[in-house]
Amino acid sequence: MITSEEVTLYIQSIPPAPAVVRQALNYARSGDLTKAAKYASEDPALRHYLKILVNRPLYGFKNEVSDVSQIFSILGVSATVQTLYNYLLSLLTPKKWELFALTDHQFYYLQASLSKYWEKILLHLNIDDKEIQSAISLIPATIIVCESLFASRKAEVTQLRSVKALDFNTILKRLSGRDLFDLAAEIAHMWEMSEKTVTLIQGASGLRNTLSTEEKILAQWMHLLLFYELSQSVYVSAGLNEFIDFQIDFVHDIYEPFMQVMA
Amino acid sequence: MRAVVKGRIGIFHLQGFLDGNNAPSFLTIDDIKATESLNIDMLLVSLKKVIFFNKNGLDTFVRLLTNIRIQKHIVVGFCDYDHTKFKAINTFYGDELSFSLFKSEKIAELFVSSNKSESKTVLLYNTDHSQRSAMAIELFDYGHNPVIAQSLHEFEEKKQHLDLYYAVIEDTYLGYFGQKIATRVTGNAIIYTISNFLDAEISNTFNIAYHNNSLNVGFRLFIFDAYKVVSMNIHALNFFTKLASAGAEYNATICFVGLTFEKTPEAFKNDLEDAGILFFDNMEDILKNKELLSDLGGGGGATAKQHRSLNKALVNELTHFIDATVSTIAMMTNAEATKSSVKIQTLTVSDSTDQVASSIGFYGDIDGLIILVFPRAIAKKACELLIGDSNITDEDILDSLAEFVNIIGGRAKVLLSENKKRLDITLPRTYADVKTLLEIAQDKKGVQVDLSFEGQDFIFFLTR
Repeated sequence: MITSEEVTLYIQSIPPAPAVVRQALNYARSGDLTKAAKYASEDPALRHYLKILVNRPLYGFKNEVSDVSQIFSILGVSATVQTLYNYLLSLLTPKKWELFALTDHQFYYLQASLSKYWEKILLHLNIDDKEIQSAISLIPATIIVCESLFASRKAEVTQLRSVKALDFNTILKRLSGRDLFDLAAEIAHMWEMSEKTVTLIQGASGLRNTLSTEEKILAQWMHLLLFYELSQSVYVSAGLNEFIDFQIDFVHDIYEPFMQVMA
Repeated sequence: MRAVVKGRIGIFHLQGFLDGNNAPSFLTIDDIKATESLNIDMLLVSLKKVIFFNKNGLDTFVRLLTNIRIQKHIVVGFCDYDHTKFKAINTFYGDELSFSLFKSEKIAELFVSSNKSESKTVLLYNTDHSQRSAMAIELFDYGHNPVIAQSLHEFEEKKQHLDLYYAVIEDTYLGYFGQKIATRVTGNAIIYTISNFLDAEISNTFNIAYHNNSLNVGFRLFIFDAYKVVSMNIHALNFFTKLASAGAEYNATICFVGLTFEKTPEAFKNDLEDAGILFFDNMEDILKNKELLSDLGGGGGATAKQHRSLNKALVNELTHFIDATVSTIAMMTNAEATKSSVKIQTLTVSDSTDQVASSIGFYGDIDGLIILVFPRAIAKKACELLIGDSNITDEDILDSLAEFVNIIGGRAKVLLSENKKRLDITLPRTYADVKTLLEIAQDKKGVQVDLSFEGQDFIFFLTR
């Protein structure tokens, strides 16, 4: 169905980050939001993306915010870095969603929602780390990769899944040796994200047993957050609830505090 | 979301959070229609990967399950939960609990018919006496051996020796049961348990699709365990005589065991005998008598005298069946299977050592049987996508081979539907060695296609 060669070709087809976004990211990481905004303003698509993003009800602004430097200063350093990664990821979204009944708007909303809740979680965990905060941005990459690799195999997967409850992540792993989180981590590598971020992204699958205590805690929260979001009606209808296997035992001991944070 | 069908059970595998807001999103109208058209005896919702649920969330599924139970007379309910979830469901529904609850899928499987003939010893306890008895009766009727603990103390004591039991049945509840006739397989005979007064309702409670499937996959002896039958009326008599006539085409034998004629007219016995039905006093009279068992067709089918011959309609569709097989192998392994020879002959396995086999029947516009014979290593390779590659037992391979041949049947069904041919597929059957398979199929003429996959040969055989 899918070979490891096809998976490699797909990863190779992912474009590097555009130069202005890379520069904006470098300045944002070093805390210089003014220079980051200067570079970001040069990309009209990025400008439009930022404007649409921060004016969503999720951010709760009464008046429309449109100036990039204003947007960056509202977001702060960590959220700016995260938003720039979200933008990079949005460049990979398919022209037409076929495997999942999703729209670009719903996908961006998922990105934004994950970012907002992740911020809340890190606050609860007393973690103030830009890299950890931006790691959540690459989690939706698993959805894009899954859509890209499996869209043309929808009928085959449906047939396979009529006899066995297999998720896309497991199917890909068994056929190619790499799962969706490995591929999201490879994209993170390409976009020069840190090793810590890459490890966290892989850990969010709930299937890695080589994590340190801190990494495991973060991976647990990330995994449960992902399923909290994927259980929203719109994503259930889109078919996203079934795309990876929920590791319920992996997150069991953080369920209570998680629900308190989400309340 | 579609239910995953394994054997006679369909299961919805939910994940994450389930509440009144998102529950309806799991089921589209198409999903509901697809569920209604499934040929199953039990429909369950697995809560294994549900971390949170509330009553509103469950209600959406309870409504679907209840509708399906009423329409199809099948068992419905929830499975795969821990004690906390079991308690929560009981609290939500209390005395209104009309559906069943099975602690695990493994326990649920004990309460449906299967093509497997093993009798399982299970430990059973329930504080409710009527539940305990109902479960024990059902388990017994399905051919299992329930060990019933009479008190919690006895249960806890017996639970210490887990290795003695296939499963421990607790936190389980039988709601409105399917009222289907319990079915079990013993060797190559199928035993149906019937009870009470038999009337026209038997045509609803008897699973005719399962019976036809069994005929298609090679079963020839059908025994009605009628110890608990009080009497029957003319409608039931007609049903059994028709069943016997339909089975004659397959050279099938139908027997009644333990049926008394104190309250049933003696004339009915004559009519049933005229239709070819045999009567025995005790089950052991048949099952312990190998010679008789063989004569009746329960010795493996080798005694079948009439053979349904390969016909043009079936041979015309051969390419579709081969395409379905080859494309399924390609899908599951990323490797190609190539055809080396095609012959019309009886099934010929040149080297039967370390071979496994599976078969699936189909019926509708055309009918027949697909048989696949694999070297064990190839079977394992072909099923790796379904089972992964760690700690695979022989039973895993056979279970996956059943799923594998089920996919082939499904694909053939799709390919033939493009030519406006309607097809239904039977339950798959697997064989841990080819000896049993050959007993059933050795005299059948069919199309044998020798295929090669990763340097090793395997056989595709299409017959009727």
